[in-house]
Amino acid sequence: MLDWSNVSTLAVAAILTAGLYATMSFGLALVYGVMKIINLAHAATMMLAAFAVLSLNRAFALDPIIGSIVILPLFFVAGMTLYSVAVRRVAAVPIASLLLLFGTWLVAQNAAYLIWGSEDQSIVTPYTYSTIDVLGLHIAVTRIVPFVMSFLMLGAMRWLLGSTDLGRAIRAVSQDPTAARLSGIWPERTAMIAFGIGTMLSAFAGGMFTLIFSFTPDFGGVFQLKSFAIIVLGGLESFLGVALGALVLATIESFSILIPGWRASLVNLLAFGLLVIALVVLPGGIASLIARRTGRAVQ
Amino acid sequence: MRKLSAVALVAAFVVAACGGGAGGGGTATGAAATTAAAIPAGPIKIGAVLPLTGSFSASGTYFKQGYELATKEINDAGGLDVGGSKHQITLSILDDGSNGTKSRSLVEQLVTQDKVTALLGGYDTGLVEAQQAVPDQYKIPMVEGGGAASAIFTRGNKYLFGTLATIDDLGKSTMEFLKYWIDQGKLPKPLTVALVWENTDHGKDYQGAVNLAAKNSPDYFKVVLDQGFELNGSDFTSLLTQVKAANAAAFLSDAHLPDYITMHRQYTQLGLSHKFVSYGARGPDQKGRDALAAAADYLVAGLWWTPAQPDAGSQAFTAKWKAAYNVTPDWFQALSYETARVLYAGMTKAGSLDGTKIRDALASLDFSGSIVPGGHISFDPTGKPKTQIVMTQNLPGNKVALVWPKTVSGYSDAIMPFPSK
Repeated sequence: MLDWSNVSTLAVAAILTAGLYATMSFGLALVYGVMKIINLAHAATMMLAAFAVLSLNRAFALDPIIGSIVILPLFFVAGMTLYSVAVRRVAAVPIASLLLLFGTWLVAQNAAYLIWGSEDQSIVTPYTYSTIDVLGLHIAVTRIVPFVMSFLMLGAMRWLLGSTDLGRAIRAVSQDPTAARLSGIWPERTAMIAFGIGTMLSAFAGGMFTLIFSFTPDFGGVFQLKSFAIIVLGGLESFLGVALGALVLATIESFSILIPGWRASLVNLLAFGLLVIALVVLPGGIASLIARRTGRAVQ
Repeated sequence: MRKLSAVALVAAFVVAACGGGAGGGGTATGAAATTAAAIPAGPIKIGAVLPLTGSFSASGTYFKQGYELATKEINDAGGLDVGGSKHQITLSILDDGSNGTKSRSLVEQLVTQDKVTALLGGYDTGLVEAQQAVPDQYKIPMVEGGGAASAIFTRGNKYLFGTLATIDDLGKSTMEFLKYWIDQGKLPKPLTVALVWENTDHGKDYQGAVNLAAKNSPDYFKVVLDQGFELNGSDFTSLLTQVKAANAAAFLSDAHLPDYITMHRQYTQLGLSHKFVSYGARGPDQKGRDALAAAADYLVAGLWWTPAQPDAGSQAFTAKWKAAYNVTPDWFQALSYETARVLYAGMTKAGSLDGTKIRDALASLDFSGSIVPGGHISFDPTGKPKTQIVMTQNLPGNKVALVWPKTVSGYSDAIMPFPSK
């Protein structure tokens, strides 16, 4: 029987997991928002970032949190290059872009097998087993860090999109590329930068994951599917919606054990069930629900 | 419009994300086995299909090395004795890319095109299950050391033999070990058990064995939580909260390496503690110990072989392996080496290259001088091995103790109950 302490543990776990889920979903949401492309290379980016952080840790004993930041410029450039060289050419045809990015994922996976092999890899830090005790609850430092980072990232993205010329350009292109072009915005260039930022956000999530998970070149597939469920639930183009979608999924997953007869092995069913429900009942996601209630669009 | 495009994208996304998965099954029709009544001069062809790329490539490579080392030893000694004449062995090893469908068709290719005399099995239960119909179909014997689910041996195969004790044996050994320590007064009676298992044939075997022991010995064991979990889970907090709420004295989990690392990290972070903890076959793996550091100390594992075995055969094998590949071998390497040696012993016993004769020889083989615990490998009528599991306990300082069975060479008492952390 679950007592108050156990229910509190579940609630804290849901909130912290939501941070993790939001972190991994922002990049996918940004790319979809601007280009209407589902980035199937999202998992590859997270996996490659995890291995990049591992390599920096092995070579220079670099902490994974710092490593996750150090790799960002590299992935920003890689994302822009991928967009310029390949994605741009097929962006207008959704199925072609899906296939291209799926192919990119497979190539990246096999390249990772060649470079790093298929052994499980993990990083142990001095704080891997550190916990902060709050009201008798043990909260792992490795869970708090991605949560805090997701808040910072949400703030940064809202600032970028709401208060900078680049952000306004990104929003303009996401709403109407033709009107944006008539206003003097270069949509292709804006999309390239947005793809770079999206790739960078995914890479950051991959780096953060090394604090918690072991990983192989197959890493990221389940997270990619969950990210997709989250952005559909959140409203596809809204960062606040993504954060709320992440919270909803994490809460349902955490508290599912309270359902009598529930099997933990069915946990992935929740994400996909939620995806179907969101598509049928709430196709605009949580963001559209909030917009309907408040009369204001949610970013 | 937006709804429609989202639905279309979901469909494409899911199809794409599910692509490339392992599969199996299907029945092929084909010619009868190639049998050789007389023994032709020249080398004997042996075939194997292993995952040399893809998700199981690390273990697949260990198996390839094990098969090659055993074969090299035979060839260096002049060849395999079959019917009084010595023959060199040529190994034909193909890569299935960790894909079940491909694995099965490549095994068929080895039989029908390459005309191999016998087969060595693949690695991982799923891939062995994908391959297992072929030997009977073509009456070509296969010895495998990479599939441990008992379901492999329930399908009526006559030409398939395993060298890995099955997971239900592992679960049974764990419960016998616990019973001993309950009798010693080191663990409470009845022992309350929180049981979690991966939702695969592997995990279900373990679950079945633990529940059977509890059913047969209700005065010794009481399972207070019995919960399955998905492979490659991202977060086990909910599951572990259930484990905490169950307030059991022992925590038993059957998990593959990535889940073991994630789960035990979270277990430690949540401040959980039990008098006994085991993750099935996980424990002394160096990858796990590197990832978990001191949190992996005192864990007890059930294994098919360990370099900690002090017997002369195991030590000689370890030295041989280090000389050949410059790493300390684990059970993967040892069992693949033994799997090849068992097949070759069966062929020598048969004195023939005829598939059915080799099969009959394997069925009655008692392979002695093996490095597996107990020193013998033989098979029951289903092809399931009659071998032992050895239990190990991780000790601080990256050490490993042999703690079960009591008859195992190098036995020492386990530290029981676990020191509270």
